[in-house]
Amino acid sequence: MRRSYFIVAAVVAVIAIGLVTGLFEGNSGGLESPPSGRLKREETLYKAGHQFGPPTSFSPFNTNAAWPTNSEEVLYETLFGYSLVSGQLEPILGKSLEWTDGSTLTITLQPDTKWQDGTPLTTEDVIYTFELGKKYAVRYSPVWNYIADLKAVDDRTIEITLNPDDPHKAMLEDYMGTIRIVPKHIWSQVEAKDGTVLRHANTEPVGSGPYKLSFFSPQQIVLERDENYWGIPIYGTPGPKNIVHPIFKSNDAANLALEKGQIDWSQSFVPEIWKMWEKNLPVGTWYDEQPYHMPASIPTLWINVNKHPLNLPEVRRALAHAIDYAKIAETAVSRYSIPAKSSLIIPEGVPEAKYYSEEDVKNYGWEYNPEKAVQILEQELGAKRGKDGIYVLPDGTRLGTFYVEAPYGWTDWMTTLEVVASGARAIGIDVQTKFPETPVWADHRDSGSFDLLMDTPAGGQSPAQPWMRIRDLMDGRDVPAAGEGTAYRNFGRYENPKVGELLDQAAATTDEAKLTEIYQELNRIFMQDAPAIPLQYRAWEFYEFNEKHWTGFATADNPVAPPQHNFAGVRVYFNLEPLR
Amino acid sequence: MAPAAGEGTFPSPQNPQYGCENMLKSGFRKYLAKKIAWYSLALIIAIALNFFLPRLIPGNPVQSMLHQMTQGGGVASDAMERLYTTYMEEFGLNKPIYRQFIDYFVNVFTGDLGTSFMLYPGKVANLIGEALPWTLAIQIPAILIGWLIGNVLGAMASYKGGRFDSTVFTTALVFSNIPYYCLAILLVYLFGVQLNLFPIAGGHSLGMFPGLYFDFVVDAIYHWMLPFLSMILVAIGGQAIGMREMSIYELTSDYVNYSKALGLRDKKVVRYVFRNAMLPQITGLALSFGTMVGGALVTESVFSYPGMGSLLFSAIRQNDYPVIQGVTLIITVTVLMANFLVDVAYGFIDPRVRAAQLGER
Repeated sequence: MRRSYFIVAAVVAVIAIGLVTGLFEGNSGGLESPPSGRLKREETLYKAGHQFGPPTSFSPFNTNAAWPTNSEEVLYETLFGYSLVSGQLEPILGKSLEWTDGSTLTITLQPDTKWQDGTPLTTEDVIYTFELGKKYAVRYSPVWNYIADLKAVDDRTIEITLNPDDPHKAMLEDYMGTIRIVPKHIWSQVEAKDGTVLRHANTEPVGSGPYKLSFFSPQQIVLERDENYWGIPIYGTPGPKNIVHPIFKSNDAANLALEKGQIDWSQSFVPEIWKMWEKNLPVGTWYDEQPYHMPASIPTLWINVNKHPLNLPEVRRALAHAIDYAKIAETAVSRYSIPAKSSLIIPEGVPEAKYYSEEDVKNYGWEYNPEKAVQILEQELGAKRGKDGIYVLPDGTRLGTFYVEAPYGWTDWMTTLEVVASGARAIGIDVQTKFPETPVWADHRDSGSFDLLMDTPAGGQSPAQPWMRIRDLMDGRDVPAAGEGTAYRNFGRYENPKVGELLDQAAATTDEAKLTEIYQELNRIFMQDAPAIPLQYRAWEFYEFNEKHWTGFATADNPVAPPQHNFAGVRVYFNLEPLR
Repeated sequence: MAPAAGEGTFPSPQNPQYGCENMLKSGFRKYLAKKIAWYSLALIIAIALNFFLPRLIPGNPVQSMLHQMTQGGGVASDAMERLYTTYMEEFGLNKPIYRQFIDYFVNVFTGDLGTSFMLYPGKVANLIGEALPWTLAIQIPAILIGWLIGNVLGAMASYKGGRFDSTVFTTALVFSNIPYYCLAILLVYLFGVQLNLFPIAGGHSLGMFPGLYFDFVVDAIYHWMLPFLSMILVAIGGQAIGMREMSIYELTSDYVNYSKALGLRDKKVVRYVFRNAMLPQITGLALSFGTMVGGALVTESVFSYPGMGSLLFSAIRQNDYPVIQGVTLIITVTVLMANFLVDVAYGFIDPRVRAAQLGER
């Protein structure tokens, strides 16, 4: 007996040691000796909210590249970085960007730009990066729709000639702020080896930013400051020596860590954050009062406008009057949204608000008003309430059941849609919620096989907003009809030739007065036809910090950087100081 | 080779007679061959199911992947169409389904588990390789130690009876019947949130680099305690009840009464009882090793512990076929292997099983 126990114990010990050693396969970026020990808290900043799965790629060409590749310009840098606050493209690798004549964009690089391996970064790298977009399907490939010619004048200056067939200055500028420049001397070797840039996981990335990748595992990604960063003479030295992004399995774990001060800076949805400062925790957001975060995107209720009876603008407008927008902002989004209005232009905070017209919203738009909704149904449509409380049109069509969809697990969206559905049922339109897994929801959306569906058109803020949002919501050109192909925008399949015309006019001008006029007209068309219904005006990225260990984060009162994690937002790192 | 193994390990009968030994050997070989054939067939069917079942989940993985990308921002809808075609081709999803199946089948047998869709270009084998050790680090000790303690407790309970028995029995009954994930949640709440004794998430402290040094090992064990505890309590409970019942059955059997009547010492009787009761327990141990890869999936989610659980769940939710296939393949193979070994061992230990299987009398 004794012997067999000994054998079992020995086996357990051997297996345990084997496993423990098996765990040590971390990946230490390009570093010679693998890091060991514990990072010093006063030198390390902890981030959360960007990475939830195991990191497998640090290639800017991969759709799912791990933090910070495509989410923060600290490893790879863009030429310029858009700021939510100034509305300008601010310098990063680029020093200046100007339209030297009506159709030539001249870009000058900062002096002495370098890659992290010491190689100089020149216009050759920039042009190489742009041309990769022509050769391969990458996120910025469509930039070539707007470029007729691209050439280096010298190793600091580039001239881009606008495509006369699609002279869209704002879209071109948008790309100047989103294309991450890669080193030619490295990626040309990758191309030669793989025949493409898409299959390279790039686990030893060489970027141009202030931080290098030092270690990653399925539990954390660690960056280390590059003491030879080319930008030190211009931007200074960032505060933290290391940045660690722990990979939490859920938002809850990340939020608890933020509350405890284990996380310093986060991009996760933290419900009721004000409760943390009621506990006297040094936690902050951009605004210290409602809506706490800067509204920058419009999660919207898309309507399948070709499906009877949703093809009737009156039905859509009645639905729009039935939704309690203030309740959505209060309950579903934890007050992080201003109550949505009938406008595709965000009314306050962001730069695009300059195009907003409150008067148009009053005259043409809608607001939460159940009586008005009933009035539209009864008087404009002549609908009669059935025995079950749901209206029936004169042609016998019952208003419902319409299903409204959001991806399962997006709790704030799910709650929003519950408010939508109960509001609609209260006025006599039968709306029920349906929460499939993300791939199913995406399939319904793209193929047009839905009644009502929630999604955010055209993402967050950029130099091309609100143009992109209006295009993605209302431009019927190049969008296949429902059931006849995959749509990548305008999922409701709304058609109005006037919209295309106005969008083209807006694209071709930079005259602010004219732009205001065009965008307001587009917004009025939107309000009259109601092809979709804005549900929230909310942050594109959340921005929360805990100043237990680091101080100097940007806020509306101390706007050292815009409330963003990417682009111009990276300036925050240069302002951070450890608290002891 | 199987026959060689049979030759090497098969014990000679007490009085070896040539013909008889030969007959036994050939019987075992036949039995083994039949088992191997059945298990190979089961493996092939399982591999086919691994391929087809994930594809029954509605939704297109590429659409979902592109959606994820737009959530990241900075991607205009203009880029989508070209990206969609590129990735459909890259993943081979544009090929007819039978072609995809043949490719998959060939790859599995050449040891290539493919490339993840959602974590492209991450290799499935690497993803599993990173996740599996964490799962095993919880499961192997939990199964082994749980089995040992459980059996000792069960045997002692049945033998001692009385108060000890009723305490052990009720406690074991409670732990073995609580769903293991409920126990996990209770532990998190009690020891993690309320008492603040143990960390509630992760496999090691934030900002620590894994390595073979004292600080890290202590830290990793500290993080490992709660999930381990939640698994081992359930394991002990289940084993103790099984062992107790087997022992009680043995204790009341004729040979025990007879031995007692003969005046054999208690210690000697207990040893016989224990040995006889052990047999089904050993089967149970082998089978629990079979389910160890898939057995802690929910526990890992509750503790935010790294491992196969989160890998499989996120893969299922995003239609990441290669990852789902890879994980289920590992689970299938371990279950089949464990069952196969038990079958072989039975055929080896007990000639009756072998004879019955071969239809011999």
